[in-house]
Amino acid sequence: MVEMVVDPLTHIVRNAIDHGIESPEQRRAVGKPEAGALRVEARQSGNQIVITISDDGAGIDTARLVDKAIGAGRLTAEAAARMTEADKLDLIFHAGLSTADQVTSISGRGVGMDVVRANVERIGGVIALDNHPGQGLCITLRVPLTLTIIPGLVVRAGGLHFAIPRAAVVEILHDNNAMLQISCIGGAQIATIRGVRHSMIELEDVLGMDRPAQAGPRAIMVVRSGSGVPYAMGVAAVDNHEELVIRPASPLIMATGVYAGMTLPDNGKPMLLLDAAGIASAAQLPTILDDQAARRTEEQADAQAGVEMVAALRFEEMTGEKRLLKLALIDRVEDIDVGLFGRSGDQAYVRLDGRLIPVVNGLSQFDRAKVSALRLRDGTQEACYPVAAVLDIVQMPLVPDMVAMHGILSGVAVIEGEHLEVINPFALFASLSGYDMVEGQGGRCLLADAEDGWTREILAPLLRQVGHDVVLGLPEDGVIDPRDVLLCHDGEGSKVAGIMAEMTGCRVVQLRASPRAAGPRDASIYRYDQDALMAAITAGQG
Amino acid sequence: MNRLYLFATLAGTRIAVETDEVEAVVKLTEISPVPGMGAHVAGLSALRSRVLTIIDTAALIQGMASPTRDAGLAIIANIAGHSYGLMVDSVSDICRVPEGELPLRGQLDRAWAPYGRAIVEQDGHPWLLVSLASFIDGGGQAQAA
Repeated sequence: MVEMVVDPLTHIVRNAIDHGIESPEQRRAVGKPEAGALRVEARQSGNQIVITISDDGAGIDTARLVDKAIGAGRLTAEAAARMTEADKLDLIFHAGLSTADQVTSISGRGVGMDVVRANVERIGGVIALDNHPGQGLCITLRVPLTLTIIPGLVVRAGGLHFAIPRAAVVEILHDNNAMLQISCIGGAQIATIRGVRHSMIELEDVLGMDRPAQAGPRAIMVVRSGSGVPYAMGVAAVDNHEELVIRPASPLIMATGVYAGMTLPDNGKPMLLLDAAGIASAAQLPTILDDQAARRTEEQADAQAGVEMVAALRFEEMTGEKRLLKLALIDRVEDIDVGLFGRSGDQAYVRLDGRLIPVVNGLSQFDRAKVSALRLRDGTQEACYPVAAVLDIVQMPLVPDMVAMHGILSGVAVIEGEHLEVINPFALFASLSGYDMVEGQGGRCLLADAEDGWTREILAPLLRQVGHDVVLGLPEDGVIDPRDVLLCHDGEGSKVAGIMAEMTGCRVVQLRASPRAAGPRDASIYRYDQDALMAAITAGQG
Repeated sequence: MNRLYLFATLAGTRIAVETDEVEAVVKLTEISPVPGMGAHVAGLSALRSRVLTIIDTAALIQGMASPTRDAGLAIIANIAGHSYGLMVDSVSDICRVPEGELPLRGQLDRAWAPYGRAIVEQDGHPWLLVSLASFIDGGGQAQAA
């Protein structure tokens, strides 16, 4: 069932990239870092999987949404004036509406979010938006797990039984407890427990049930809401605690937001599982919003007072050290077949996308079949940096905590208590500038001894692997380019080769089977001397 | 088209349902109510260790909860991976209709418009062909409205 979340997720990510995150110029103009950030997180919360997709883009412009809706004839101006911010945001889920100026191949057709919501709700999930215009958008998908067994409490309210996950409950008190004081102000209830004030609600009120008079005291449960801030929930009684097998409830029921699933206990009467966070939202408890706002202003203050940070990739080198590299330099991370790596002279390179790309840390031999590598780009030049493992993306100070220029390192930064060396991008690319990787443009390797088993089985594959264009035997059309290189062994072929070379001006590389040269004037290369062979070929093609 | 149809009455109207959509027809025993939902969700009911969401289909059409909820008949269907029981007044027959479904004629009441999509003739009467899934989707919209 969770596979059905793939399409909605893809659509949301596309929207974020296409509409949410602004162009670098726009971002610079409002003081944001040039590179936008898109975070996708997933975690298990009881019997649900919670997926959040957040970006630091422009968020949703609800005013434009309303304008588009009025323009499309779906809304009158008077109705629009009466709408709350949440209602306006909900417009994004209406079919056919899009605030995109243009329809791109990625998105903008306006058929997206309604289908996304329908797909998510079909599997019993819910989708929620947290919009901060100008700062970004956070979309939360909650999707039920098919079957979970959780320890739960059975509570009674309004004459019905409900279940609540034990993990959500902090403590339970009776309302006649000395440590508890309930006060009421302007319709809002406050429970003060051992001096700490909590918002309080009666479960029956939230669910719209009657509260029949009861003989004994009511039970007050302190439960955790979505933001972690606890609140007090009054129920008639807490009857039992047991292990419950929870299944997802149908989308109709999940849509209320107060139920997280259902269970079938031994007595055969289906029981609903309460969602403590959902109940807090339904009751519109104020503490949650306030805390979030306070936290946000705190974070903003921190950011202003603190050091300027920049996004960096934390990775592990082949040699084991953990290092940091500025994220903006990294084009992408790829798993590359080790067979594509090679050496020419003292420069290691890798063959990718039909080009030869220099490998900056000089590694070309690996003990595994595939190696993770960072593809770097300084704007014009490309480079490849093989690593043992990519760890995560962190914020690092723009200037390292300790500056110590050495080789390709610029210093050390402290991230979460760990000392990590910072790579110096200038030194990295500077080490490449002397290197000129010319791929034999038009220059082919002509293997004169086409019938020879060694040439076919050993030499030809080697040359192809490092990227040369190999032709077995002399070309049929007889055309030989001066940039071609002719390889042959001593013998009949070499005489022909010599003639061809003179006629066309192409270079000849003579190979010999024995490791030792025949004499001081023997210019042939031992056929298994790979370095010399490659050097001779590339020198000929230069 | 020689499809098999289930013929029933719902909110006083003759309806037909393609048997492909129907898993069973059962007599409901106990329904545990789901508080905080509209009248169209009658509650949850257990059926041989499965939990069904019982839809008061007449409430969807008529806008009010049906008076006697228990001891009624319901059509059991599996829609998008969830099990539902859709309440009906009575069930009359299951038979083949050689000519299959016919296009709607006349103007459907606004209450029925989201659900009825064609007509099936049987026993000299027209029966409104409905899709069970439309009651679930329609139910969602009724709640949002």
